Order: sequence, then structure tokens, then C-alpha cells
Amino acid sequence: MVSKEEILEGLAKAVIDGDEVKSEELAKKSLELGIDPYEALMNGCNKGMAKVSELYECKEMFVPEILLSADAMYAAIDILKPHLKVDASAKKPAKVIIGVAQGDIHDIGKNLVKMMLEVAGFILIDVGKDVPVDKFVKKAEEEDADLVTISALMTTSMMYMEPVIKQLKAKNHKAKVIVGGAPINPDFAKKIGADGYGKDAVEAVKVAKNLIGA
Amino acid sequence: MDKMSPAERFHAVLMGEKPDRVPINPFILGFAAKIVGMPLGDFYADGNKCFEAQFMCMRLYGYESTPMYGYASCGPWEFGGKIGFPYGEGHSAPYVIEHPVMEIGDIDKLEVPDSDKPVGGYVEAQKVCDRCTQMGMPAIFQGGSVFTAAAVVADTSKFLRWIKTEPKSAHALLDKVSQMYINQIEYFVNRYGAEKCVVFDGGPVEANTVISPQRFEEFAFPYMIKVHKKIREFDIPVTLMHPCADQNLNIPYYIKLRESFNWKGIYAWIFGPETPLKTQIEKFGSHDIIGGNVDPPSIQTKSYEEVVQLCKENIEQGMNNPRGFILCPGCEFPPLAEPIKPMAFLDAARQFGVYK
Repeated sequence: MVSKEEILEGLAKAVIDGDEVKSEELAKKSLELGIDPYEALMNGCNKGMAKVSELYECKEMFVPEILLSADAMYAAIDILKPHLKVDASAKKPAKVIIGVAQGDIHDIGKNLVKMMLEVAGFILIDVGKDVPVDKFVKKAEEEDADLVTISALMTTSMMYMEPVIKQLKAKNHKAKVIVGGAPINPDFAKKIGADGYGKDAVEAVKVAKNLIGA
Repeated sequence: MDKMSPAERFHAVLMGEKPDRVPINPFILGFAAKIVGMPLGDFYADGNKCFEAQFMCMRLYGYESTPMYGYASCGPWEFGGKIGFPYGEGHSAPYVIEHPVMEIGDIDKLEVPDSDKPVGGYVEAQKVCDRCTQMGMPAIFQGGSVFTAAAVVADTSKFLRWIKTEPKSAHALLDKVSQMYINQIEYFVNRYGAEKCVVFDGGPVEANTVISPQRFEEFAFPYMIKVHKKIREFDIPVTLMHPCADQNLNIPYYIKLRESFNWKGIYAWIFGPETPLKTQIEKFGSHDIIGGNVDPPSIQTKSYEEVVQLCKENIEQGMNNPRGFILCPGCEFPPLAEPIKPMAFLDAARQFGVYK
């Protein structure tokens, strides 16, 4: 007989190892054993992903490994999610619009940030890559977003971050803006009026939490 | 005051002699299109326009580099995929619309282009090289990086997964991409003669923000060796190496590459701004030319005075490298930088980079 602890630890390990098959198997097993899906998610998958973030931060894990960890995590989430109980009284998670700046098609970094923010409990609305300024603003309004996160890998596309910030401010929108990507640094972020800068996916999560006071 | 012409200055550095002052390779591509008022898409879609814009820009500023055709997403077009030219707002270079490899099974079907004709971007590169060689300049063309090209020939995030889950298939793709580069290098060597060729090798996907040095050793290094073995066999005199972005953890393998060929050939390194010049000089300086690595986003966002200061610091750290130094940005000159910014490089070289 497998214990609840073993299942949760197994889920965390499957996520760290990027083992999609194992993570699916353990997610199903957790349901069979009557483990609360929320607990399986938080103390299994998310615990594993937290370790992945830690290993990424200290350069012991890199993008290929993280992509596989994400696959393993999403495989478990797909199984657990339909069984999560909705608590109407619970505080609503913060909503984040995420996308790559206009003119830029490099989205691997954006996808890593998206995944780590999801793990941290944010609701993500992914507007994709090469996103026009107006689309960021429109989506933030439609979704009543708390945060807008924009990435850019090129010196040409990074110039399309400031107009998003300006338009949101002109509309007095509540959303805070976080920027990141290879050519971005804290000085540039400050200069264009961004509320935060994340040098990588892990830092972006910390900045996002600070900005919404989580 | 300059005592040498740009060509004399560059030649002196390549030959291991002291020029009058630090030469400049501003790594200008898209910036040239803006300066001459040409749509960036035209610059990449037509090799003749690409040459003309760079040649006019070169004459306008008087820096030392030669026009070349190239971009980071080299590979898909050469294998029959579809690329888009940068006509849109915010675009900076050609981008992939259709990857030739979307599934593992596509790798087997991939046909390596022969060495009897240029393919994809090499057709445009040939136009640039023809014009350059007609004017006595070298023919510069891309010969890597194999890893970056494979990562765009295939869907990038799938390829990065395959190096873990399907290593044999990833190797098969890397092998085909390396052969494509070798065949295209052979074509250019046959057309211009090896002595007139310069190979440019560099890409960002092998950066340590993406892969570990272990994966670099397993998946990038063997194919880099394979291509450079051919470069040495062809006896191409000059190779420009651009380990793009943060590749500090890969440095031991770049040293190993040079050691594998007893440091033969003239190699010039342009690392990203993440790699200190001191490290580069320690590791390569006795044998190889070091290119400075002024931070490209700073060139775009900082003032003329600040860029001069960054160039000054770069020059002071690099100009006494035993095998020579060239002032460069750490990657392509930002296309949207103000027109005064290449002057910051020239002014810094003339004020702080004069050899006694």
C-alpha cells in the first residue's frame, strides 16, 4: 500500500525529473486514494516546481530540463484540475496578462515565466508573441488584470514596452507592469516607467508577488 | 589623427602587427538599412541592397568592417522551410514562419543541400560576397553555429526537449545541419578561393541561459569541431567567432576547439557583454584577436557621452591584448540606435585607442 506522503513525494520527484508518465500515473493514483487534489497539486506538483525554480536559479537546471518538468506538471494538473473543489469564499487569485513585445517572436522565456507564475497561483492570460501595444492594453481592460508582464529579446522590440505602460497609465488602469528579457535591465525598466523588472522567470515571480502584496 | 586607412588598420591587426589605433568592427547590419533609409525587410530580402546599405554606412562612418549577410535564424530557409523578412514594426531580422522539422520523423526526411550551389540565405550572401570580392574585400559568410541552426530548423522548444528525450534524433539533426554548413562553405571556397573567405560562427541558443555546459559538450561541441576541422582543411585564414549572450560556462570548450587545431588560423572572438574582457584575454589572448563587447542595449538607450565612456573602458581593458584587439559591440549594433552612436565608437578609438 502506497502512503499519501509517498504519492506526494513521488509527484514532486516526477516533476523535478520531468517524468510525464510517472506524474500522470501518480496523479491518477492520488485520486484513487482519495487524496485532496488541491493537496496533490500544492504539496506534490508545486513543491517539485519550487525545487525546479531553485535549481534553475543556481544554474543546476536549464531550459530543456525545465520544459520537461513543465510537461510533467501540466500532465498532473490536467488530471487533478477537474476534481478541484471550488471555494467561493476564497480570495480570488491575481490575473496576469503575459506576452512578448511587438516585433518579437522569441517566446521560450515568456513561457517559462508563465509556467512559474501559474505554479505560484496566478491566473495567466497568454496573449502570445509579437503582440501589438493595443492588444496588451485591451486585454488588460477586458480581463481587469492585476499585472501585465512583457518580455522582449531584441533591442527593436523592447521599444514597444513603454507605449503599453503609457497607455495603461493614461487610462488609469490598476495593472502593474513587469518587464524582462535579454536586453532589459533595471535602469531601462525604471526609465520606461515599469513597476517591476525580472531578470529571469524566478525573479519575475518574486517581483509579481511583491507588487500584488501576496 | 588616423595614420592608416581602414583597410590597412584591419590588415595590421589580422597580421599581428600594431595598427595606428584600435580598429572598429561595429557589427552593423540592420542599422545600415535605417541609416540609408531602406526598409529593413529589403535589406535581408536582397543581397545587393544588403551590400549597398552596409557599404554606404561603412563609407559614411569610416569604420573597418566588411559587409556581410547573416542573421541568427539561419538554417530553416536552407532546408526548405519558410522565413519572413523584417518588414513589421519591432522586427529586427528574418524570422521563421515554417520550421522544416516539426516532428521527430521529419529529421529522416530532411535533405542536406549539396555543395554545388548556394541555398536559402546563401543565395543573398553570395550577392554580398560577389560585390565585396570585386572590390578587394573578403567574402564573409555564416558557418555556424550548428546548435542554434538545428534549434530553429526544428521547432525550438521541441528540439530543446529532444536533446533530453530523443538524443539520437537530435544528433541526427545536428549532423545534417553541420553538413549543410560544410557544403555551403565548400561552395564559397570554390567560388572565391579559401584565401578570400572569412567564416562567421555564432549563435545564441547554446548560451548558458538556455543549456548547461554539459549539454553544450554533448550536442554543440562535436559539430563545432566537425565544421572547424573542415575550415582548417580548406585553409580559410580568418574565422570570426561570436559566442552570443552568456556563454561563460562554455569557454572551456571554445579553448578545447582552438587546442584541437593547435591554435592554427586567425580567430577573432566577439563574446557577449556578459564575458569580461579580462577572462577572454587570459583564455585566448596569446593566440587570438579579442573583440570588445560593448553592451548593445546600452548603445541604444544611453547617451553619446555614456557610450564613449563604455567604449573607453572596453579599449583600456582590451587594447594591449597580445594578439590584437578590435572594438566591437557584444552583438549586432542595435538597428534603432541614434546615428551618432557609431561616432561614439570612432571618437573613443581616436581618443583612447591610439598605439604609441
